[in-house]
Amino acid sequence: MGGDGARRIVLEARGITKRFGTVVANDHVDLTIRAGELHAILGENGAGKTTLMRILFGELQPDEGEIYLNGQRVHFRSPRDALRQGIGMVHQERKLIPAHTALENIVLGHPKKRPILNLKEAERDAQALCERYGFRIPLHAKVWQLSEGEKQIVEIIKELYQGARILILDEPTSVLSPPEIVKLLESLTNMAKEDLAVIPFITHKLPVVLEYCDRVTILRRGRVVAEMETRQATEQTLASAMVGREVMLQLERVEVPLGEPVVQVQDLWVRDDRGLFAVQGLSFEIRTGEIFGIAGVAGNGQEPLAEALAGLRPVERGSITLSGRDITRAPVLERWRQGLGYIPTERRDVGSIPNLSLVDNVLLNYHFEPELSQWGVLATGRARALTERILQEYSVVAAGPDAPARSLSGGNLQKVILGRVLSRPPRFLIACLPTHGLDVGAAEFVQQRLLDAKREGMAILLISEDLDEILALSDRIAAIYEGQFTGIVSAREATKELVGELMAGLRRERV
Amino acid sequence: MRAVIGSYTIRIERRADLRWWHTVVASVLAILVSLFLVGFAFLRAGADPLEVYREIIAYAFVSSFGLPQTINRATFVLLAAFALIVPLRAGLWNIGMPGQLYAATLAAFGVAYAFGAKASVNAQLNGAIVIPLMVIAGLIASGLYGAIAGFLRGRLQVNEIVTTMMLNWAMLWIVAHMIREGGPFMGRTAEGEGFTLPTAIRIPQILGLPLTAYAAVLLALVLTWFLAKTTLGYRIRTFGESPRAAEYAGIYATRISTLVFTLGGMFAGLAGFHYFTGVPGVYKIPKNYGEFADFSFYGLITGLIARNNPIAAIPVAILFGGVSGGARFMQGKLRLAFGIDYALLGVLMIMMVAFQALAQYSVRIERVVTAPARQVGLERGESRVESPRH
Repeated sequence: MGGDGARRIVLEARGITKRFGTVVANDHVDLTIRAGELHAILGENGAGKTTLMRILFGELQPDEGEIYLNGQRVHFRSPRDALRQGIGMVHQERKLIPAHTALENIVLGHPKKRPILNLKEAERDAQALCERYGFRIPLHAKVWQLSEGEKQIVEIIKELYQGARILILDEPTSVLSPPEIVKLLESLTNMAKEDLAVIPFITHKLPVVLEYCDRVTILRRGRVVAEMETRQATEQTLASAMVGREVMLQLERVEVPLGEPVVQVQDLWVRDDRGLFAVQGLSFEIRTGEIFGIAGVAGNGQEPLAEALAGLRPVERGSITLSGRDITRAPVLERWRQGLGYIPTERRDVGSIPNLSLVDNVLLNYHFEPELSQWGVLATGRARALTERILQEYSVVAAGPDAPARSLSGGNLQKVILGRVLSRPPRFLIACLPTHGLDVGAAEFVQQRLLDAKREGMAILLISEDLDEILALSDRIAAIYEGQFTGIVSAREATKELVGELMAGLRRERV
Repeated sequence: MRAVIGSYTIRIERRADLRWWHTVVASVLAILVSLFLVGFAFLRAGADPLEVYREIIAYAFVSSFGLPQTINRATFVLLAAFALIVPLRAGLWNIGMPGQLYAATLAAFGVAYAFGAKASVNAQLNGAIVIPLMVIAGLIASGLYGAIAGFLRGRLQVNEIVTTMMLNWAMLWIVAHMIREGGPFMGRTAEGEGFTLPTAIRIPQILGLPLTAYAAVLLALVLTWFLAKTTLGYRIRTFGESPRAAEYAGIYATRISTLVFTLGGMFAGLAGFHYFTGVPGVYKIPKNYGEFADFSFYGLITGLIARNNPIAAIPVAILFGGVSGGARFMQGKLRLAFGIDYALLGVLMIMMVAFQALAQYSVRIERVVTAPARQVGLERGESRVESPRH
């Protein structure tokens, strides 16, 4: 494999430029895609990936530049137009109808309009596609019954069924568990072998790029800063090119002597929104200076656990003790006063309020504190000063404390949330998916701050779907599967394989 | 949105920052466009639109009889607008101004009744004691009546729009029961209206206007400050923007929704209190109390046009207070068809709401320029890496 000049060029973009007002989102971007290659487009959030992608599949028109498809100059007027010419797109959010079967979703919107739907014939065609590329999908299952990985495969088949020869994938790995990622990329590699061109756009997960992709084009601030074969690249060169400076990929594990237990959880049972037990009898304790990582595929009870600890979800049975005090039924603010800090999974809408200023967003963690609310009146001067301090200490890129939260990128927003939670400071921190969706630079920053907090003696519960992150940061790792721990292992004995098997429920240690 | 016409592109985009003068310009344009459009209706009715508008303005904003009336009606609309604004800041819709304003009015008249005010217009009562008691009773009653919807919403997720609407009907029938034939508050003349308040316990006036009119303007300032600067105001705004973020921050849905509906109810209550105990020539629950229920919905429109801003609601309330009175007067004076004053008001409201929505977008017209593409200086297959450090 690889980009020897002999392979046929199927898609070429020359000098693509796109401006939004004064912002140049794409600045003379050149891109060459060959048949049969898996060609990653890499870049941090805001590097211009989305704009380029939208131009390639016809959702946006470039201000300058040309696109050539099989040597022919083309103008895509719409995504439908692009698809007709063989360019398919799989979005980051699923665009399927949950109540319909996989097959019905695949057939939906097919450009060859026929008055009578021939599902038999469609099934034959879809089945043939699956066999050809090695997908295993229950075509007659309803979409809501499928896993995230399977839904994505359905979208890929849908695009292929409609005749796509070039497939663009937006962050294909972002919602998948590690085994699903491997499965998906193997399928994509198979597809590439069949003379299709596959273009995944990726923000993080550099190892994936190195292992499976043939070539990579790296964008930074709207420009192509590098184009190379992955066999010439290392994780370090990719990361540095993306970020524009040297990046520490290896975090230095800090060993601090463990102190008193800060939080003790005994036989915790919590129901989810449907009334089912999502957390089934979990027990653990976390000491000062310890990071306790919970590894698991999304939806195995991590979210209800975090919410129950934070006071947002009632506890059915069991107890939570924080610094020797029973907080099982304490209201949210009582827990915060006791030293609990919570970084929620959803950065927008739970962790922040898009339309309010950063000052107001910082106040979410402070509005009840006497120094910031005297006689029921907000101490606006102090709130501003606090916000400015957080923006500075956490090197947040923002127009200022009055900027609305929606104007911040995901990474900068997470820094604000982290800053306002850590500045209280808590004794016990719950960090849910703290680097999810962040680019390399911001993720590194957040992880470093968590380690700093640990060094200062904070007890941290780290919930993450990124196994690499869990392994790199945690002192002890618990694998969660269907609301129960399948094993708790110390960092020394933990390997990717062991924890991977535990979180997939394939194996169970005595807890 | 984008449209290409010839070599020009017309772009319509949402404004990133809506400035206050955008809103002002939009409102003025909306007024001009409505006057132009309704002008055709007046022409059709055989009247000169310019004369019509002159009459309205002369009556509502100049004449010594019309101007106080305008201000009194505007005060009523403004307070009703606050009743919308406070809950709406928390993301909840208060459609219960009629119910809440009559809850306050009945309570206030109840206090007066208890002091024997029904006996005579000249009843000897101590205003310094009775009037404050009437205010307090009115606020408590309207606050509680509003709180019902807020509590049900917060605790049981009962839709507040439905609740407040139903509470309106309940209260309007209670009013009917109280003032119509045989009701305890029935006036001595028994004409289906309430008893007239004795002179001693009417709201005092300054420069011919009841104190409540001045209080309303002061309240606009206090309310603005309350929402922007106080902890409770912050919690209301937070809850309105994102209930889930509020929950995260330990702000409780039941408390906030009960609080905003209590406050909203109190503002509506003040509107009723103002009009029925303070406006010269009224001083009672009138026979056409149903019309005032409808009139309180002008507050709803006012709040929406003012984009939830209590101070911006003042000019809007004055406009509606003036035009509603002035147009009715003009219709009578020029002997035009019944209802043409409502046509003017209706078009005015629709245009102002529509223009507020349009003000959020900007329109740009650009010439399409196709620049030559840059030379591609890269050999196929060649690798290229820029230094990450510049």
